[in-house]
Amino acid sequence: MRLFSKPLFKFFLFALVLATLSALLSPPQADALTVSSTTAQPNSTSSNSSAVIGGTPTRITWEGTVDKGEQVKSLDLVFPAGCSLADGADVKVTVLHGLDRMAYLEQDQLDAQHVSVDFAKAVPSGMLIRVEVHEISLPNVAGDYQLETNYTDANGKSAALGPTQNITVQTVSWSDQLSDWLSQQGWVQAWNSVLFLNIFFNPVQIVASLPQLFFGWLRSLGIVLIGFPIIAIPIGLLVSFLRMSKLKVLRFISSIYVNLIRGTPLFLQIYIFFFGLPYLGINIPNYVLSFLVMGLNSSAYLAEIFRGGIESINKGQFEAAASLGMSRMQTMFRVIIPQTVRRVIPTATSEFILLYKDTSLLAAVGVMEQMMFAKNIVASTGNMTPYIVSALYYLVVTLPLTRFSRNMEKRLADGEGGNEAKEKKHRLRALFTRKQEVAA
Amino acid sequence: MTSAKATEQIQQRTPGATAKPVVRIIDLHKSFGKLEVLKGVNIEVDRGEVVVVLGPSGSGKSTMLRCINLLEKPTSGQIWFEDTCLTAPKVDVNKVREHIGMVFQQFNLFPHLSAKKNVMLAQTQVLKRSKADAERIAVEQLTRVGLAERVDYKPSQLSGGQQQRVAIARALAMDPHVMLFDEATSALDPELVRDVLDVMKDLARQGTTMIVVTHEMGFARDVADRVIFMEGGVVVEEGTPEAVFDHPQHQRTKEFLGHIS
Ligand SMILES: Nc1ncnc2c1ncn2[C@@H]1O[C@H](COP(=O)(O)OP(=O)(O)OP(=O)(O)O)[C@@H](O)[C@H]1O
Ligand SMILES: [Mg+2]
Repeated sequence: MRLFSKPLFKFFLFALVLATLSALLSPPQADALTVSSTTAQPNSTSSNSSAVIGGTPTRITWEGTVDKGEQVKSLDLVFPAGCSLADGADVKVTVLHGLDRMAYLEQDQLDAQHVSVDFAKAVPSGMLIRVEVHEISLPNVAGDYQLETNYTDANGKSAALGPTQNITVQTVSWSDQLSDWLSQQGWVQAWNSVLFLNIFFNPVQIVASLPQLFFGWLRSLGIVLIGFPIIAIPIGLLVSFLRMSKLKVLRFISSIYVNLIRGTPLFLQIYIFFFGLPYLGINIPNYVLSFLVMGLNSSAYLAEIFRGGIESINKGQFEAAASLGMSRMQTMFRVIIPQTVRRVIPTATSEFILLYKDTSLLAAVGVMEQMMFAKNIVASTGNMTPYIVSALYYLVVTLPLTRFSRNMEKRLADGEGGNEAKEKKHRLRALFTRKQEVAA
Repeated sequence: MTSAKATEQIQQRTPGATAKPVVRIIDLHKSFGKLEVLKGVNIEVDRGEVVVVLGPSGSGKSTMLRCINLLEKPTSGQIWFEDTCLTAPKVDVNKVREHIGMVFQQFNLFPHLSAKKNVMLAQTQVLKRSKADAERIAVEQLTRVGLAERVDYKPSQLSGGQQQRVAIARALAMDPHVMLFDEATSALDPELVRDVLDVMKDLARQGTTMIVVTHEMGFARDVADRVIFMEGGVVVEEGTPEAVFDHPQHQRTKEFLGHIS
């Protein structure tokens, strides 16, 4: 093969190495332009926010300086995909030399994809070019966005500068949009002019805090939904068995447990756990500790509820099971507990409701739950409305459960309890008929 | 139950001349604290025999019956169930109870289970029968007490008489060697008593060994092989229904029967 002569091949190789080396070692070819900043004006309507919100008109400012010995004839700034122009969108180009504003004629063209600026005369070195695009919306997707800069110099040579500095965009929630809109409505302003309504029932605050508190609500609910079934119920059941144990020691220990927990405030228990354990070098994550404290507290109450339930089962049930040869365990798990469960559900539900409400106490030790969320919003807005919204969130859980508990109680009274009443009636009637027999 | 089958059962259960008693109570004493309720009771019940126990309230009938399956712990004396001395130490109580059926005045059905499940539970738990077997037997026994149509009813959906018959079926499903009835009809409305008594009569006719505490004199007269009259914690008199009802020997028996009828 003589397609490549040996010297030619050597030359190519040499050229390649040289090119690579030069690319690596020599300073890159200087650009004619240095972009000094790209920013977007904060456009969030929440007074205390400096966020740039997507999907909402803002002003993008681009600034670049013409480098030494260079000139810039035209600029082309490419917007990130997904931008849009609002009514009154416009470009304003300023050329500054130091603090002096220089007059350079230019022609510009703006659309949602890019803005191009063509100077009548090339802008010489040392000048700062500022391009402001008004009423442009960045994409309504949270993230970092950049503009791309293309330019041509006085010789008509064009070049591209890499992506500029990031513009961090946050999304607006529907609730922010809605509360914005609300705050501009006449009736809302009229409503809010009444101090009481403004402080406790501010529509703008309601809408704004609703989604934020939702996460607090989930967390509070999560604490009880984990703590109750996983800790409170099993330990409660165990303790209730111990309370009915034949062994005095077990009865003693379990009664201490129950009385200690029920005899002291949950608030105190929370403090002891959250502040005491770290002193012992035991560091449990806040949430785990929350399940634990709430669960253990509830287990003591449940133990008494379960015990009461089991003891309320008719002695005849134990005897019937025994007369069939069933063991204590079989009797307990097949006969007694299934009946206890149904009897205990209403009171256990009430206990669940209490526990759920008491998760609010965890705010005192800094656990991020519903109450803490509300407190934080109130602290930043100075408006009490989030507390009212918080109340609604609690009620969403407690009211249906209360109703459920009451229905259950009623059903039990109609069903099983009714049976007992019937038995009593029978007994009375049996007595009565026996008396009749005697009389006859 | 067909008559052929009934005959078969009678043959199975009718004792031979040398058969041992199923239940033998020897000098049974039972006190609750200072109150001595049973003061030396002696009773023997043979295989296939129906023994009716009569006596005024508080005479210790229930206590005696409950001692037989150790729901009450005898204070002294001996109770034999077939070859097992129940009063011996370390007797396996549950094992003994498997074979002693008991029917309570208050039915004591498991309210959370259907009739069928009531009858199945101990079969699967205690006798370790398969679910299918237990179910088959449950339906059989419920049919036997006339409740074929009620197998899936909960106790609360049944009348007292039906509940008591479920309770009887529940005991029968365990293949008991003896059935104890403690005033099985006393808690029932008068119009429901008959259904239960009819079932008990059937059982008696089919050769079931039964000890029946009752105030139903008619049942005692018709069905009993032997009548025992208890008072004050002792057996005062016993004999055939004719002997006890028509020719009572003791003053207390006479008074009691005179009172009642
Ligand atoms: N668990 C107990 N503790 C204390 N005393 C008891 C107990 N069970 C029964 N007694 C007493 O023992 C005595 C006999 O009771 P038992 O129930 O055996 O009588 P009974 O003949 O079945 O009467 P009845 O016809 O009213 O059912 C009664 O005085 C009763 O109060
Ligand atoms: Mg009795």
